[in-house]
Amino acid sequence: MAIGKTGEGSAQTAVQRPSRSKLRREIARHRSVYLLALIPLVYYIIFKYVPIWNAQIAFKDFMAVRGVLGSEWIGLENFRTFVNSFYFWSLIRNTVMYSVGKLLISLPLSIILAICIYECTRPVLRKVVQTLAYLPHFLSWVIMYGILLALLAPGDGVVNDIIKLFGGNAVDFLSNVHTFPWVVLFSDAWKEMGWSAIIFIAALMGIDVSLFEAAMVEGASSWQRVRYITLPAILPVIVTVLILKLGTILDAGFNQIFMLYSPQVYSVGDIIDTWVYRQGLLEFEFGLATAVGLFKGVFGMILVLFANWLSRKLTESSLF
Amino acid sequence: MKRFKSILLLTLAVLMALPAFASGSRESKAAAGTPDDPVSIELWFGAAVTEAGMIPEDWVGYDIVREKLGIDLKLTMLPSNESDQDVRIQAAGAANSLPDLFMVRRPVLTNLVKQGLVAQVDGCFDKMPTRTAQQYDANSIAHTTIDGHVYGFASPGAIAKNEGLLIRKDWLDKLGLEVPTTIDELIEVARAFTFNDPDGNGRNDTYGYGAFVETDATLKSYPGSRLWPIMGAYGVEGLWCFDSENAGLNIYKPAFYDFMVTLKAMCDEGIIDPNWLSYKKDDFRAAWKQGRFGIMYEQNAAYAATANYAPFDANFPDGEWIIIDAVTGPEGHAAIGAYDMNYRIYAVSQKAADAGKLDKICELLEWMSSDEGYYLLGWGQEGVNYVLDADGIPVAGDLGDNAFTGPKGQVYTQLRNMVFYNGDVELASRYPTYVTEVSGKTMSALTALREMQAKKWTSAIGSGTMPTPNADVQRYYDQSLAEFLTGAKALTPENWQAFLDQFNAIGGAAWNEEGIAKMQADGLIR
Repeated sequence: MAIGKTGEGSAQTAVQRPSRSKLRREIARHRSVYLLALIPLVYYIIFKYVPIWNAQIAFKDFMAVRGVLGSEWIGLENFRTFVNSFYFWSLIRNTVMYSVGKLLISLPLSIILAICIYECTRPVLRKVVQTLAYLPHFLSWVIMYGILLALLAPGDGVVNDIIKLFGGNAVDFLSNVHTFPWVVLFSDAWKEMGWSAIIFIAALMGIDVSLFEAAMVEGASSWQRVRYITLPAILPVIVTVLILKLGTILDAGFNQIFMLYSPQVYSVGDIIDTWVYRQGLLEFEFGLATAVGLFKGVFGMILVLFANWLSRKLTESSLF
Repeated sequence: MKRFKSILLLTLAVLMALPAFASGSRESKAAAGTPDDPVSIELWFGAAVTEAGMIPEDWVGYDIVREKLGIDLKLTMLPSNESDQDVRIQAAGAANSLPDLFMVRRPVLTNLVKQGLVAQVDGCFDKMPTRTAQQYDANSIAHTTIDGHVYGFASPGAIAKNEGLLIRKDWLDKLGLEVPTTIDELIEVARAFTFNDPDGNGRNDTYGYGAFVETDATLKSYPGSRLWPIMGAYGVEGLWCFDSENAGLNIYKPAFYDFMVTLKAMCDEGIIDPNWLSYKKDDFRAAWKQGRFGIMYEQNAAYAATANYAPFDANFPDGEWIIIDAVTGPEGHAAIGAYDMNYRIYAVSQKAADAGKLDKICELLEWMSSDEGYYLLGWGQEGVNYVLDADGIPVAGDLGDNAFTGPKGQVYTQLRNMVFYNGDVELASRYPTYVTEVSGKTMSALTALREMQAKKWTSAIGSGTMPTPNADVQRYYDQSLAEFLTGAKALTPENWQAFLDQFNAIGGAAWNEEGIAKMQADGLIR
């Protein structure tokens, strides 16, 4: 993913555009690279672009036997059903709350972890920390639920045992509307922090080492090196990640919420995707499910475009 | 370069065309249904032993149905979790690629019928005399009848009334308490189990009542069936009431509020295991085997089958659960729970019927219920997977791992739920009497079952066919009750009335009316 500089740079690029024959020669010369690129390209065409055709069922009363084209056109009825649902605003609020919350908690933690791993001078320790940090990513939310229950159960959870040891009352973290959102946010951070840090570690590896050496010669402290070299150097990557995350702002993590939530915490736990699962998939309302998916996609795209524009204005770096 | 571009284009075109063939090639001509030219039948089934694997490729059944029926049987095991099963079937339905014959739950069947994806099978029963006599009675046929037509074969499923109210007798004896007979006595015993150290370990680590939230869309409404013995004391067990005086949703009965007050008081006092709102089924079952609580509602085999009872027996050789009568409430009501007839539905896709496979499917099902099919699917091959005892009951004998109960043999019985109908032979074979390893007790899940069935139950037959609400109404119902129980919303008569008013406003009243109309139309009101 290239980060393009705006302004004069783009004009220059336009002037220096290679001729068609030169482009062919370039492709022929790097054909192995293009062949490699072909695999994800084909994947995206088959699994991302071809299905867009089926998005039209968002505007139809979809009947499987009639197929996509044969189903009755009902305009925006599915969108109206979603928007007029009793819990619409609650679903939007919860979804955005978890998405933004995960962004605010997980992103800084991932950056901090990446910097810590990068700055660590003991290779063995670094590898151990890295492995331990990545590990939870590979656990399913079913297993994570078991771990969380062992930690947080009100009867015999480790955390509640400690609370009771100090004379406090047990808290049912998973069934309490005040604690449940924090459990969701921090369990996600715990699970994904290590994995998300990979991209930042990769960016850190690209920083010119001589900058750090020069800073040390000048007497810069570790914190000053992070502040004046590391963070500015990985800022474009942070912006890229942020922009891409905004595109999925209405994806709050179905698997996690579906495993953790229960009727006691529906008011703070039910998100768009869990509602779609219950109302769309289980009730065979595929038109409705598609309409909500389309709604999320369009909303995400608008946010990405806006964030890209804002980033270009403020930091002179953008995704496209 | 030109050649390279052509290859690229061709590769792209082929890859893009691949999804068009994703659902498989269409048969170019109708198969004859002979061993040489067999009809292909794809069957998606519910596994009998969910933790075991798929039926192996070398299963003798494949050859038998090919040779005798001219059927090339293709089996696919559905996910064990009901929700996952639903999603799998719904997704196949949405793509119009349902298999020829498939297991399906009734709410999903209703959706598929609306979509025109399921074949009518009204005329099939006469073609399967043995199987129909064994498995499909009038109630079963009514279960899959929608708008006057039959859309599936409903076989007997889980045994009705196979759960019971159990109490730790050793704890009662230690504390000098009698078996409770009223709801007040039950609460008193629960209190003693919580605060009087019934296991004598000197630690405050036990609770009175244990449960978890086990709900479904038509019978086990929130807070779920594990609380049924308490709900039964107030006459509000089950989602629907089929009595002529109070027909409709039980939630409208004033006694439901009284039940909520009692349950809330139990929660507040801490005499019900506080983990009950977070437990999943396995957590709950692990908890009673670890001696966390002394009163519970549990299924016969989950309690008394060899493997299930063994951990409790090892942990508490002197421990003893007994099955007790339903406790009586303030108005004289008592019930262990509500029961419906349980069925496993197998439906035929419209595609299969259009391809002329319906008769072959009937032949297959009829063969399954023949002596040959019944024993092969139920227990495997005689001498390999089972032997017959003196009473003619299939038993494991000395067949070791290859026995139908062993790790290698049990995979050959994955289709047994398609032939079992809870007959005496099956029950005697499934629930043998045994002696526990550590304490030497004589146990039998069959005896437990018969004892549980003899208790007082409330009939809710027809619940499985009742309408289900939309997701918003269902959420409001569940969430509101949960909030009352957890204290997020104060449980007062005013708030309860406000809850009912709002419930009615968002669709609860319409759901109730639709349900009553369905009861009247189907003659379910008693």
